[in-house]
Amino acid sequence: MKTAVKTENLTKLYGKTKAVDCLSLEVKNGEFFGFLGPNGAGKTTTIRLLTGIIRPDKGKAMINENLPTNSIEAKLIAGVMPESQGLYEWMTAIEYLLFFAHLYGVHDPIKAAVEKLAIVGLSNEKNKRIGAFSRGMRQRISLARALINEPKILFLDEPTLGLDPKGQEDIQNLLKTLNTEGVTIFYSSHLLNEVAQLCSRIAVIHHGKLIAQGTITQLQEQTGLTNDSLKDIFLKLTGE
Amino acid sequence: MFKYILVTELQASLYTWKSTVWFLITSAIFSFTSYLFLTDKELSLLDQTEMLWLISKIIIGTALLIITVDASNTINAEFEKETAESLFLTPLTTKDFVLGKLLASLALWIAIYLISIPYIIVVSAGSHLTFAFVIYVLMLGTMIILGFQMMIFGISFLFRSSKNTLTTSLIILLALVIPATFSSTLKNNSLSHFLSVINPVDNVFSSLDNVLVDYKIAISSNLLYIIPVLIFCLAAFTFMLYSIKLFKRSGIVNKD
Repeated sequence: MKTAVKTENLTKLYGKTKAVDCLSLEVKNGEFFGFLGPNGAGKTTTIRLLTGIIRPDKGKAMINENLPTNSIEAKLIAGVMPESQGLYEWMTAIEYLLFFAHLYGVHDPIKAAVEKLAIVGLSNEKNKRIGAFSRGMRQRISLARALINEPKILFLDEPTLGLDPKGQEDIQNLLKTLNTEGVTIFYSSHLLNEVAQLCSRIAVIHHGKLIAQGTITQLQEQTGLTNDSLKDIFLKLTGE
Repeated sequence: MFKYILVTELQASLYTWKSTVWFLITSAIFSFTSYLFLTDKELSLLDQTEMLWLISKIIIGTALLIITVDASNTINAEFEKETAESLFLTPLTTKDFVLGKLLASLALWIAIYLISIPYIIVVSAGSHLTFAFVIYVLMLGTMIILGFQMMIFGISFLFRSSKNTLTTSLIILLALVIPATFSSTLKNNSLSHFLSVINPVDNVFSSLDNVLVDYKIAISSNLLYIIPVLIFCLAAFTFMLYSIKLFKRSGIVNKD
């Protein structure tokens, strides 16, 4: 199976602090990969390195076998929902998606924008200004932006944060469908139940270092917590 | 791809009423100045060419001030509102990003210039200088404003803060405009004469003086003043490229 995401000794320093420390990961095509860690563990920095927003100080990161993460080709096949939503408050939902569809060079921008709004359940709000959106609606429009270029690999940083239970369920179902259709999902979240339910494989980082990775069964074996939940495994691994 | 950045930037100016405020301020300044020139006892005694020269300085000075304030926010807003990350996740290149922003900012100057034309026509009525005035204000104004924009964009990429960029740019603007206003007095001293020769704002004003007061309309007669302005633009462009290089090296997001 082909590699969707690969890092080798990936390291990022902020001053003297190692935000990411010699991280080596491999995510296969079509995987739903969970990426866990306590606050400040380096999850967001890793996603920024994987999406070419920042450059590593050491090591390398590639997507879709061998594409450098900051290349145009990599950006065309990756969809990203970053931690900071960065929305243009004065735009309407449809204007916002059209703008990004143009930047990605989407063949039929109007069709794509209308379709993505429908997918995230914002069709009725398409002419509403983003400035008037609730937190949950902002999450949805960010997700629609991440999907506008029909990505093969989707990087999601806390995608269901601020959503009500119904909203969370809708997004989870959407992600399951996308994964079934072959989209590789790199999923960072603090909601461990959600990760346990969705992800086929999980990696845990702490202080920028990879401390464990595998399926839930493998993590249970590694920690000796054979009948415990992901939450217990996570707490044992991170010592919190 | 820069056209999408340009269009979005222009739309943002319209939606947020930012441009409308600038245009109202510009119109008020030009109307007030023209009114004074035509009605004030002492000002109306000025020679028409002197009057034209003064109004050309007011047009370019007002535009420089407005562009400085506006351009200080153009790039920095993307960092401060955290929209830069989502923009650079797309295949958008820094070149397209800067070009779109630069043209949008330049459009503001063109709008200010268009607003000034009726005032130029009124003040220059009866003289044979209207055409030269319109052309030289456009040419010199565009050059000096482009230079300032590139310098401000360079500062923006270094600081990523509109407050710091605006403060630094205003200090530079004042440091160039104030000596240019007292140019003839300062030329008595060799050091200040040298500073006057390299000051792009001073050269713009001197060229306008050459055209409007001394009737030296040919480009060749103004090359002595135009070349330092072009050198300033080149220096500002080089500085902007350097800060973009630093920006790319440190990453779109430079802290966790």
